[in-house]
Amino acid sequence: MAGLTYTVIDTAKLSTAEIYGKTLCELGAEHPEVVALSADLAKSTKIGLFEEAYPERFFNVGIAEQNLFGVSAGLARAGFVPFVSTFAIFCSMRGLDQVHTDICYQNLDVKIIGTHAGLSFGQAGTTHHCTEDIAIMRSMANLAVIVPADGMETSYAVRAAYARKGPVYIRINRGFDQRLYGPDDYGFEIGKAVTLHEGTDLTVIACGSCVWCAVEAAKRLEKEDGVKARVLDMHTVKPIDVEAIESAIRETRRVITVEDHTIVGGLGGAVAEVAAGSGKSFSFKRLGIPDTFSIIGLHEDLMATYGIDENGILAAARELLGKDFEKDESWEDEV
Amino acid sequence: MDETAVYASRIFLNAALPLLKVLAEEKPKLKKAFTGKNGIVQVSARGDPKVGTHFVVNQGELSVVCGLAEKPTIELEFSSLAALNAFFSGASKKLPRMKGALKAPGLLIATFKALLAMAAALTAKEPPASPEERALLVKLYFYLLSSGISQLNKAGHPAVKKWTSQSPDRVYAWSVAGRPDLAAHIRIKAGQSRAARGVYERSKPFFTMSFDSPESALGILLEKDDMIAATVEGRLSLLGAPEYGAMLGEYMLLVGSLAK
Amino acid sequence: MALEREDIVRLEKKAHELRLLTLDTVVWAGSGHIGGALSCIDILTILYHKYLHIDPTRPNLATRDRFVLSKGHAGVAFAPVLADLGYISKELLKEYNHTGSPLGMHLDSTKVPGVDASTGSLGHGLSMGLGLALGARLKGEGWRTYVILGDGECDEGSVWEAAMAASHYRAANLTAIVDRNKCMIDGPTEEVMSLEPLIDKWRAFGWEALTADGHDFCSLANALDRAISHTEGPTVIIASTVKGCGIDFIAGDYRWHYGSFDTGKTAEARASLERYFEVRMANLTEHAGIDGHGLVTKGA
Repeated sequence: MAGLTYTVIDTAKLSTAEIYGKTLCELGAEHPEVVALSADLAKSTKIGLFEEAYPERFFNVGIAEQNLFGVSAGLARAGFVPFVSTFAIFCSMRGLDQVHTDICYQNLDVKIIGTHAGLSFGQAGTTHHCTEDIAIMRSMANLAVIVPADGMETSYAVRAAYARKGPVYIRINRGFDQRLYGPDDYGFEIGKAVTLHEGTDLTVIACGSCVWCAVEAAKRLEKEDGVKARVLDMHTVKPIDVEAIESAIRETRRVITVEDHTIVGGLGGAVAEVAAGSGKSFSFKRLGIPDTFSIIGLHEDLMATYGIDENGILAAARELLGKDFEKDESWEDEV
Repeated sequence: MDETAVYASRIFLNAALPLLKVLAEEKPKLKKAFTGKNGIVQVSARGDPKVGTHFVVNQGELSVVCGLAEKPTIELEFSSLAALNAFFSGASKKLPRMKGALKAPGLLIATFKALLAMAAALTAKEPPASPEERALLVKLYFYLLSSGISQLNKAGHPAVKKWTSQSPDRVYAWSVAGRPDLAAHIRIKAGQSRAARGVYERSKPFFTMSFDSPESALGILLEKDDMIAATVEGRLSLLGAPEYGAMLGEYMLLVGSLAK
Repeated sequence: MALEREDIVRLEKKAHELRLLTLDTVVWAGSGHIGGALSCIDILTILYHKYLHIDPTRPNLATRDRFVLSKGHAGVAFAPVLADLGYISKELLKEYNHTGSPLGMHLDSTKVPGVDASTGSLGHGLSMGLGLALGARLKGEGWRTYVILGDGECDEGSVWEAAMAASHYRAANLTAIVDRNKCMIDGPTEEVMSLEPLIDKWRAFGWEALTADGHDFCSLANALDRAISHTEGPTVIIASTVKGCGIDFIAGDYRWHYGSFDTGKTAEARASLERYFEVRMANLTEHAGIDGHGLVTKGA
């Protein structure tokens, strides 16, 4: 199913959240049970586009995130499919007890779209960053966790979230994302990683804004070093694509994860959990925010600072290629 | 002696001769000839230093050891590396000096039969008649090529050395579809190389030259077929990093030219 | 809808049965939240046996009235109510809190028919109730949502977030009842974290706020009727109750928020409940004919 009835030119002019808002309006037109809620961030999260189209189906609860998620749970129990948006940090922390108990525990059809993820709201500082939500949300049972790589993938993810029974958490950035995907349906499926570059020298597993950076790094690795890197867009952190990870370990033996998130417990942690169970030795590096609160700055600058941009991934790949994943056996030819 | 001769002898001693073991195991008549035999058989070339390869035969089972044995039971000693090269390439029919022939005539005869079989196999211009023979020949060639390229690297051949020294940890493989018994590979990393037999299990090879049948493989190996035509027509698939296919093909030809 | 005398008698008898069943359930479970369960049994009785438009044979009926026990720890009172009506089997009460049982300390909406929301975390129920109420309105359906909160629970900021929003959205189909038993775990509410003036707070948040005697059906009925007829916005009924009401040796004692009864104490408790029921029935007779309670007598 097509994610968005727009051309690539449109997606270039729209921020990721605007694409989300428009997709939600399309869903709303097709499905009368879709409702939307926000906590005074309708305009910032662009869920306000739905409010404009269907004002009677939109509820603003003001700056009250616990109530936001409680009310959405009640609406879900009344038979609606609520889409709820506020900043990622408030979805995953301020309203977490409600997300956990009212929504996940009751396994309700509430779709939480957290915006301003990672360091994308760089200048606002730690109070508005969210570098812990992947770790927090993936530990909630019943909750699917999706981190789309660009606007187009976001529209697919939003539609897939509607189609999937049970609660879903999607985190997207503030502002514009680099465009990765064109208008052709590449078959987005929750839980299936997308291979964006093929290779067997190493694998870079990325999500969100780091995916584009990984692809660019892979191109440079090939051009400058003659190295062929596999790049996986692991948009679904939960349920994670176990097979893709195991193939990467089995076939390339070197894995780098990269995310706009702390290195503790996010995509890197999720991949490490699968990998540790694979029984094969491999070289591994997690790129992300190094267990610290970030400095302020523009998103691109912060990504460079913490080495999760193209250059950071490139450097990490070069370092990893020099490392052995197991002790070299003898270099004598077999006779 | 010039470099070409050095490379050629490395290939004969360390890549070709070890194939005797494969022949002894797989050709029924040879297997029978070696049954119950014991001793050490050495093929060597006099010079400064003397070089050679020997086989430890234990109840008919061969193990190959590159280098000279202390006390070989039987020795086929060539007067020089040049003479050894000439004999194995078919350029000269001058036999080596045979030491210890009276001590273990059965072992000597078996060894000679194996050597002749090997020479015949590697100088064949046409594919053999039976499927078993064809498969065996593919195997011999794959093993020869992977070891040969590795030996060239170890001997410091400039082109090969340049390739290996720049390379990250990668495996290049040869295979025949549906025949895991007909496979060989070479692992290279930062100037080092290791040739090995069979399929590489530890990761996905960086590049695989894959033939759709033993016959297609022989087509290329016996230079009857052309790589481009074979690829286009599906007899040959270049898997992984196809742009490396031509390069590997070059080194295969190099080994071939030195071995013949 | 003033209560007929038959109604009152019926409710009194039912409440008595349910108090006994609640005590039994606490004993079968080994221990339980007996104090807060007994303080709201009468409210549960009048809701489930007079006001809620529900059908135990169709627990998922889309147009049913909804009920949220925001003070979820009173599950040990709620489960008997549901069992008595037939939502679940009475036999299941014997497994209350046992390993793997669908009935636990806090009732699970995905496991127990008749439970509209999984609560227990205090402060969540009013938000979910508001969501349900908004859902009814959006669908154009007339069903109502009732939420029972604890008074200590009103410490939670999320309660006030919901209150503010319910008033803003004029959710007249939402009725909250505060079980004002003046006790919480660490002591009386006014000593631990004072709530008074509680009714003023609700009014300040835009609610129609009423008081009622939480153990008097006429008083409760009066308040519920007024809540239903108040169409400008939501109504809260602050029901004065006694923690552990009915069992004389625990009544009014905050320490009986959670407890257990050995065989001897169980017998005493049961006897106390029987005596309490007689007192309640005697009160009825005494108050028969007095208009103040809205009681209508048929003949004398």
